[in-house]
Amino acid sequence: MSSLTLKWLPLLLPAAFLLAAGVIWLQAFPAPPDNVYLDTFKTAFLGILLEALPFVLLGALLSSALRVFVADETLARWIPRRPLPAILLACLLGVIFPVCECGMIPLVRRLMHKGMPVYAAVTFILAGPILNPVVYGATLTAFRAHPDLAYARMGLAFAVAVVVGLVLFVTVKKPPLRLSLARTAGEPHRPEMRGGKAVSVFVHTADEFFEMGKYLIIGCLLTAGIQTFLDQGSLSAIGDRPLLSYLFMMGLAFALSLCSTSDAFVASAFLHTFPEGALLAFMVLGPMLDFKNALMLLSLFKTGFALLLFFLIFALVFSGSVLFSLVL
Amino acid sequence: MNDPRTIRVHYLLRAAILLLFALFIAHLVRQDALHYYVAPRLARWVRLCPLPLVLMSLSLALQALFGKRGDLCDCEHRLPASGAAGGALYSLFLFPLLLGLLLPDRALGSAAAAKKGFEFAYTSPETGSRRQADFRAEDPYKAEFAELASRLHLLPVVPVQPEIFSETIGALNLYKEQFAGRTVQVTGFLYRERGAGGIDMFAVSRFLVQCCTADATPVGIMLHPQTPISLPADTWIQVRGKLEVVAYGDGEIMGLVPETISTVPQPATPYVYTSADSVAAWDELSQKAAY
Repeated sequence: MSSLTLKWLPLLLPAAFLLAAGVIWLQAFPAPPDNVYLDTFKTAFLGILLEALPFVLLGALLSSALRVFVADETLARWIPRRPLPAILLACLLGVIFPVCECGMIPLVRRLMHKGMPVYAAVTFILAGPILNPVVYGATLTAFRAHPDLAYARMGLAFAVAVVVGLVLFVTVKKPPLRLSLARTAGEPHRPEMRGGKAVSVFVHTADEFFEMGKYLIIGCLLTAGIQTFLDQGSLSAIGDRPLLSYLFMMGLAFALSLCSTSDAFVASAFLHTFPEGALLAFMVLGPMLDFKNALMLLSLFKTGFALLLFFLIFALVFSGSVLFSLVL
Repeated sequence: MNDPRTIRVHYLLRAAILLLFALFIAHLVRQDALHYYVAPRLARWVRLCPLPLVLMSLSLALQALFGKRGDLCDCEHRLPASGAAGGALYSLFLFPLLLGLLLPDRALGSAAAAKKGFEFAYTSPETGSRRQADFRAEDPYKAEFAELASRLHLLPVVPVQPEIFSETIGALNLYKEQFAGRTVQVTGFLYRERGAGGIDMFAVSRFLVQCCTADATPVGIMLHPQTPISLPADTWIQVRGKLEVVAYGDGEIMGLVPETISTVPQPATPYVYTSADSVAAWDELSQKAAY
């Protein structure tokens, strides 16, 4: 129990502090202070949170419905036994479940508890937010004059997801879930809920919502802070230096934590200051790895495994997008 | 693992928080304030959120009040073990609600535009800065801008309509030589930036929102630097003036030499959004105006 508290403390202390500071501060100023930074922060923070909310709820609902209505064996039968077909299927799952990355983690956790192998689950986490019709359409709209970037985005996301899946298939033998599978795999105890299955779906949805919501809110807080205080205009000078511009755009994708359906529009604003390869890196890395979903991945997987995953994603996206710019 | 009584308390707290979230969104919808945070096409989905939130809240409350002892267990989703961890978790969820209810809903303004980097040399990302002599264009997307530009060019006063704000600015900018000397009327907030040499740069601008306010980008037209403007930044103004092409940095940008500047109230929808087909939207707007 104490280890659980220890894990939580670093995350929750700043939030508790913020709240206390907010309360004291609001007492000192009975009328809401006229502070442009606070307004910008509030607008950015609630903007990202409200934008993510429908996707988080949808992901949580889907995963709970899966838990309640689909038997473990049924799902396990659907997943191909051989790695390559399983990985390819995981890449295409995004077409059926067009959930944004925030809705992905609860869904994947449920799928893994239902017997989906780690490599296929990770492939789905990486490919799902990009390889789906909604994101493809948005990217094509944002880059109507450069459709090659939209194709490259889909292609690179596919390649990175497949390679990461294969690497994990070869290297990872033990399930790297933070909450070990053994505890729930048998599900010896399936509590009957008051009100039957429908109520039980919503109770689980609420559990998922609180589980993922804390990482989402912390991610939104950090992102809104960066958006409020970071001067983006002065940074565009970096665009002139080729290698740095890739790293910068990837850092930006990580820090901004935009939704995968809107990041293409933000990327298109940089079209004249940054090389196309760097924009590609921005659009592929962001949905796979950003502040809020890095926190969620750390809550899903053991730390060592999550770090390996971050490294793999980063290295592959970087080399893939540099390769793309060389070919063009 | 927690005992059933603690679980009941947690469930009740969670039910209350979920209900508050649902009420907060309903409040935003009723105040017509959702558009301060998300674009209309996403707002549709956000508007549906109170439904599952209320159902979740009711289901939790049902379990907390009437659930049988033996069935209450947190073996799958662990609940916070200590009171401090629980308190911190729930205050984290209350934070956005407090922020939302205590501070007034305000549109992004100059401060945010300065942080995001206001582009005086606005080039629509889709078209770049290449252009052709008359309103012909080689690719389909530029064709849309060319078509829009040819319609705008027929009018004595070119209006920058909020429905097709970024497209109109894009079309004007793409064909700024042809539009030079024409009268343009545009409404937006006053953006002020301390330029090089202590000369203030002004622009009339609006935020273009694609998805949510996190991706908002300022779009606008520079005002001629010699214009005496004593209004504070973020004032909503309507500017009517002549379009001119001015040298800026290494290239040329369009600017407006204001003839009249009048303050106007902030529009109900302060942000602008992209239009799928700006030419069709323009035709519809002109038809409406004709009636």
